Amino acid sequence: MKQSNEAFWWSLFSAGGVAAALFLPAIVVLTGFVLPFAEGDTATRHEQLRELIGWWPVRVLLMLVISLSFFHCAHRMRHLLMDFGVRSTPLLLAVVFYAGAITGTVATVVVISRL
Amino acid sequence: MSASNGAAAQTTEESLEARMADKTITLEVFRYDPAAGGDPTFQRYDVPYRSDWVVLDALNWIKDTTDGSLTFRWSCRMGVCGSCGMMVNGLPKLTCSTFLKDYYPDPLRIEPLANFPVQRDLVIEFDGFVEKLKSIKPWLIRNDQRDPADGELRQTPKQLAQYKQYTMCINCMLCYSACPEYAFIPGFIGPAAIALAQRYNLDSRDQGQAERRKLLGVQEAVWECTFVGECSAVCPKHVDPAAAIQQAKVTSTIDWYKRFLMPWGKK
Repeated sequence: MKQSNEAFWWSLFSAGGVAAALFLPAIVVLTGFVLPFAEGDTATRHEQLRELIGWWPVRVLLMLVISLSFFHCAHRMRHLLMDFGVRSTPLLLAVVFYAGAITGTVATVVVISRL
Repeated sequence: MSASNGAAAQTTEESLEARMADKTITLEVFRYDPAAGGDPTFQRYDVPYRSDWVVLDALNWIKDTTDGSLTFRWSCRMGVCGSCGMMVNGLPKLTCSTFLKDYYPDPLRIEPLANFPVQRDLVIEFDGFVEKLKSIKPWLIRNDQRDPADGELRQTPKQLAQYKQYTMCINCMLCYSACPEYAFIPGFIGPAAIALAQRYNLDSRDQGQAERRKLLGVQEAVWECTFVGECSAVCPKHVDPAAAIQQAKVTSTIDWYKRFLMPWGKK
């Protein structure tokens, strides 16, 4: 009885959903509202943010949240298209979306490593 | 209550009955007789409107008074047997629990449950569904040979609560009609069968989880589900098969990682 490998992609999708739900709102509030609108010197705040991102656990956390969110998105989009009846090329769909997520992950790691 | 008040109330009730008797509601019913050939059609019936009538009452009225050839399944009339599932205005419903007053004065369109082959009129063919239920081994599997003399296998209320929800399924198949994945993939074992598998997997007396987990780990089992959630939305017994499928996905994923990371492990 052949066991499906869908479990692997679903685990990334699932982890991405949890990561996005838990951390993305906090990251958006922090970087989009708290830091830009906080009192004080902008340059200092920018330096503080750079310093925070320089700390390796924060880098790893950011990489994980962003990368897993890519996989969440890829899996959902793939299945959304299948729900809409795009079912003649399942392998192509999987390759396009998961390759996109892998590319996004590589880009995330490169960009965050250089910060 | 005085005599005059009583008489007035009776008169009001009678006039209400009289007014109700004039009211009708239209049912557009799917008709198909494979023996006669031809395409399916919709037939319109004007049925007396009663606020306490359900769709099944209206169908029975048609069969008893207007058209004896109309064919449909029903049995208990109280949402227990799961026989009278049909599409009412495009949604899967138990017709014994679907009131005309929720639709009046608009017409109702009654069709057989979607995603199943039609035998005749509103009767569907569900042999495939029964085979799916059987495929997940829906019985207590024990490794030991027990004898009634050994006594009962006792459970705490907490252990019972683990799976009780999934025992409430009445096999009405509304979840299969609502599931868009089942519409695409008839081989998908579907919500009720997976909920039934979980009913036994979560039972503390059962020892067949390993066998069932292999059955659930194939593509046509839990992995065809994309968590649309309509199965749980239409379930008349609040079984929540979508939750059962998500639980089964988690265990199936743990099994996958175990196989991948420890290929020498127990198969």
